[in-house]
Amino acid sequence: MIEVTIQLLGFIAAALLIVIGIAGMVFLDNMIKKIIAFTLLSDGVNLLLVAIGYIEGGVVPILLPGMSITEFTMRAALVFPIGIVLTNIVIGVSTTAILVALVIMLYRRYGTLKASVILKGERR
Amino acid sequence: MMELVSNLWSIPLIVIIPLITAVIVNAIYDKEVIKYISIASALITLGISIISPYGYHWFTGHPAFDPNTFTFTFDPGIPAFRLSLEFVYGPIQQIMIVISSLILVFCVILATVGLTKRQGPYMATIFLLFASAAIIIMVNDLYHLWIAVEIGSLIVVGVVVASGTSISHKAALKYAFFSAISGAGLAVALALLLGITGFANVSDIIRIMNTVGISGMEKILYISFGFFILAWMYAGGLAPIHPLKSEVYGASYPHATAVLQAQSKLMLVAIGIIMLRIFGTLPFIKEVMIFLSVITMILGVVLALIQIDFRWIIAYLIISHSGLVTLGIALGTKDGIIGGVFQAVNDIIYMSVLLFCCEALYYFGGATSTKNSFGIARKSPWLCAAVLLGAFAAAGMPPFNGFQSEIILIQASLNSGLPEIAVIILMVSITTLIALLRAIYRIFLKPPEVEVLEAKIPKAINFGIWLFIILTIIIGVYPDIALRFIIPAVEGGFLP
Repeated sequence: MIEVTIQLLGFIAAALLIVIGIAGMVFLDNMIKKIIAFTLLSDGVNLLLVAIGYIEGGVVPILLPGMSITEFTMRAALVFPIGIVLTNIVIGVSTTAILVALVIMLYRRYGTLKASVILKGERR
Repeated sequence: MMELVSNLWSIPLIVIIPLITAVIVNAIYDKEVIKYISIASALITLGISIISPYGYHWFTGHPAFDPNTFTFTFDPGIPAFRLSLEFVYGPIQQIMIVISSLILVFCVILATVGLTKRQGPYMATIFLLFASAAIIIMVNDLYHLWIAVEIGSLIVVGVVVASGTSISHKAALKYAFFSAISGAGLAVALALLLGITGFANVSDIIRIMNTVGISGMEKILYISFGFFILAWMYAGGLAPIHPLKSEVYGASYPHATAVLQAQSKLMLVAIGIIMLRIFGTLPFIKEVMIFLSVITMILGVVLALIQIDFRWIIAYLIISHSGLVTLGIALGTKDGIIGGVFQAVNDIIYMSVLLFCCEALYYFGGATSTKNSFGIARKSPWLCAAVLLGAFAAAGMPPFNGFQSEIILIQASLNSGLPEIAVIILMVSITTLIALLRAIYRIFLKPPEVEVLEAKIPKAINFGIWLFIILTIIIGVYPDIALRFIIPAVEGGFLP
């Protein structure tokens, strides 16, 4: 029997977000919905990283007065995944901004948000 | 064994100088001085990459802290406090960054003397593109690899959008969406490998896998490999996503495409070698990589044959020849990796010749379509000679550099017991020549159907074209000039 832990729930939720995000980006026709799907995908990756860094009964990774080094190394949550999450948030915002800017440019040119219309009939 | 310097001074400079230049030229976007700042910055970066010794640099990381001895240690048994985010500057990094810097110099010059007035933001994207490529080839941790790939993809979008046409906007949008997926995939791969090993440093991941063994990790490793493959495909435009990357190449200005293709080759080499190092011992990994490479080679060159514009022919040939680079790495043998990296170096050089020739055609009123004949050889015989020499180099004919790397790849394929792949490499070479000669005949040699204006090609373009042609011949005649960087790195295990 698999024990249901907070970490496991985090992994499941992250996997769901990632799958929904990728499916949305691939199958949805509306550009804005595709961008929203991308934010779900990005959130799923963040949740996966947070879940990896989570330690049951852990402490924040700051060496507090009275705490032994050994106890600290055993119980401190992993800091690196949190650093990656911060980076991913920045990258996610940048990517979203660029996507929105491109969609605005193409909307002004074609008057629609439908990917099937905008990307159809390209001429070289 | 090469002597390595810790905290090497040149590594941050190679990254930071282009970044600072990008910030400055973006801030003073309409000033004439942009030209001088950009050229000086590109030359300084080139100079640093030439004179730099080999070594490491730690970024936001440090060796592990041993709680028992209160000292720093490299023992991988202490996971929690060892970030180990490091950059490596070795012979392979040197030759690839030097060549890329040289292309950056000419790209910057061509951007400033180009047909239209280009402002600071465009120049900034060119420098950021170079910075991302330099990071990717020097990196030895997955965290920086992921960041550089993400930044690189956003910058590629910027460069394509700067071309300002409807096609370029669409190409940029499609590329941005796919890069969002593959970038997120690379982050997932990083998370999974971090989760099972506790490290982001590639050397540490391999050490843990060798020490602890990979029993029980296989599923996670295969999932990570899948995401890596996605990033690899996206980085180099490997099949089946080759249309996205070829559109990016075809929709950009040719001088920008020269930097874009250099960035792609650096990404392919870096990600390919990292994949080989981490996943190389798993079954079917190399087979998957070889399959993708072969399909890319064939699809790229076949699609090049049916194009009707010289720019798009070059775009698809870049894709096809990316398959040659990845094939060498995918073979996983010493000869294969040497051939793959050598092919990447040569490919960057001869494709730049063709792209600069394509840029020169813009001065004849954009005569790049093969639907009409323009008879440009009559107006500019030297340009015709240059593009022919570039085509011979791309087709792997002696005495040009393409011949030397392709012969190594053919030998590596035969030594690996894959003669059919050697035949495919030969077929790709011949088809490359046919695709290029067909376009060159229509545009340059056939009596003109459409009259084009007299054009004065800037000296910078001519100088760039002939400099790179001389390089193709020198490396073709004396391959040791490049191989003396690549062979010791592969034999000594001094890889990115």
